[in-house]
Amino acid sequence: MKVTVENQGLETIVWFEGRLDTPSSLEVSKQLEEEISAKEASRTVILDCTKLDYISSSGLRIFLTLRKAASAAGGKVVIRNMNDNIRSVFLITGFLNLFEVF
Amino acid sequence: MSKKLDPHCEAILQEYRDHKDEFEKYAVAFKQQLSEVFSSSGLLVAALECRVKTESSLAGKLELKGSKYSSLSDITDIIGLRVITFYIDDVDKVASAVERLYDIDWENSVDKRKAHEIDSFGYLSLHYICRRKDFPYRFEIQMRTLLQHAWANMNHDTGYKSGVEIPTYYLRNMNRLAGMLELADEQFSRIRSELTEYRRRIHSLVKSGNLDEVPLDGDAFRSYLEMNPFSDLNRKIASVNQAEIQEVSLMGFLKILKAIGMKTLGDVERFKKDYADAAYQLACYQIGLTDLDIVSSSIGPQNLCAVFILINGGGRAGLKRMFDALNGESSANEMMADFLVEQAADLPFMNKKK
Repeated sequence: MKVTVENQGLETIVWFEGRLDTPSSLEVSKQLEEEISAKEASRTVILDCTKLDYISSSGLRIFLTLRKAASAAGGKVVIRNMNDNIRSVFLITGFLNLFEVF
Repeated sequence: MSKKLDPHCEAILQEYRDHKDEFEKYAVAFKQQLSEVFSSSGLLVAALECRVKTESSLAGKLELKGSKYSSLSDITDIIGLRVITFYIDDVDKVASAVERLYDIDWENSVDKRKAHEIDSFGYLSLHYICRRKDFPYRFEIQMRTLLQHAWANMNHDTGYKSGVEIPTYYLRNMNRLAGMLELADEQFSRIRSELTEYRRRIHSLVKSGNLDEVPLDGDAFRSYLEMNPFSDLNRKIASVNQAEIQEVSLMGFLKILKAIGMKTLGDVERFKKDYADAAYQLACYQIGLTDLDIVSSSIGPQNLCAVFILINGGGRAGLKRMFDALNGESSANEMMADFLVEQAADLPFMNKKK
C-alpha cells in the first residue's frame, strides 16, 4: 500500500495506491497523522482513490478520522475517483452520504 | 489638531495620553467580559465592538466644550463599546446583563428608544454609562439592533451630524425609513416568538407520542431524531457483523421521506414498522459476507428508503433520485441504483411482492 500526500495551492491531495486493508492501515494511519497537520486539515483534503483497489473497515476508519480532523479544523474532505467496489463499500455501510464524492 | 488648546484642556489631553495604553487594555477586557456573559447565557449577538476615543476626537471635543470638563474622568465615552443584536427583545437582555456586570450611572445614561414623541421616528439606541470598581473612569455601552444600527450608520454617513442644513425631504425620508425599520424589528421579533412557540408545541407532541398530529418538517424531524427512532434497526443491522455504529446526522433523510410521500411523523413511524424487516434483509445480504465491522447510523434509514422504493415499484429511477438527494447528483448514482436493484432481486421482500 502506498500513500502520497501532496499540497497543491489551497488543497491537500492524498493519493492512495493498492489495498487499504487492516495490516496496511496501521502504517497509513501513522503516516497521515504525521503528514496531515491541523494546517492541512483546515483546507480541502482530497482523497484520490484512482488507484485504490480495496478498502477494509480499518481503511474506512482512516477516512472517517480525516473527516473528523478536517471538520474540527474548519476544512473538508472530498473523495474522488472511487471505483465501483470501493463506492459500494461506502454505500452498504451507510457512509457514502457523509462525504463529498466526485 | 486644528487649534491650540487652552492649558486646562491640554492637561486633560495629557492625562489621556498617559493612560492610553491602559484604556486599550480595559476596552478589550470589557469586550471579553461581555462576550463571555453573552456566550454563557446563550445570547447570540450580531456584533460586539469596542474602541478607545482617538486623540484627535478627544481634542475636538475639548476644543468645543472643554470648560464643561474638570478632568478626564468627566468624559464618559473615552472607552466605548457597542452591542448590536439581531432582535429588538435582545437589547433589553443585553442591558440586563450589562446592569449585572457594571454600576450604571443612570443620570447620564440615555434610552433613545423612549426619547421619541408618539409621532416621531429616528435614532433608537440604549446608551449606558458604566463604571467598574477597578477602573477609575466611566465608559459607554451602546446597545441596539442590527436594523437600528444600519439606520444610524446611514443617517450619520449622509451628513446629519455635519452641521450643514439638511433639506426637509431628506429628513422626512430618513424618518420614514426609521419608522419602517422599527416595524420590521418588531416583526422579526414576533416571527421568532411564533417559531419558538411552534417548535415547543411540536416537541411536546413528539414527546407525547401524538405523531399523527405532527406534520413532517425540519423542526418536527429534528425533535423526532432526538428519540433515536432508527437505533433499534441500526443495532440489529450492526449485530450482523458485531459492527461499531458511527453516529451521523440523519437530517438529510427528511427530503427523501417527504419525496416518498410521508406527510406526518406518524407516517414515518408506520413506514419504519412496515419496512424494517426488508431493510434488515438487504443489510444482511450486503454486509453479512464481508468483514466490515463499522456502519454509520444512516444505514437503517437508507435501507428503509431503498426497500420502500423497490417494493413500491420505484425501481432504478427511484433509487437514483434517492441517491441524488442524499449524495448530490452524480452519474455514479446510476451505478449504485443498478447495484441495489441487482442485490435486491433475489431477496425475500422482493419475491414476496411478486
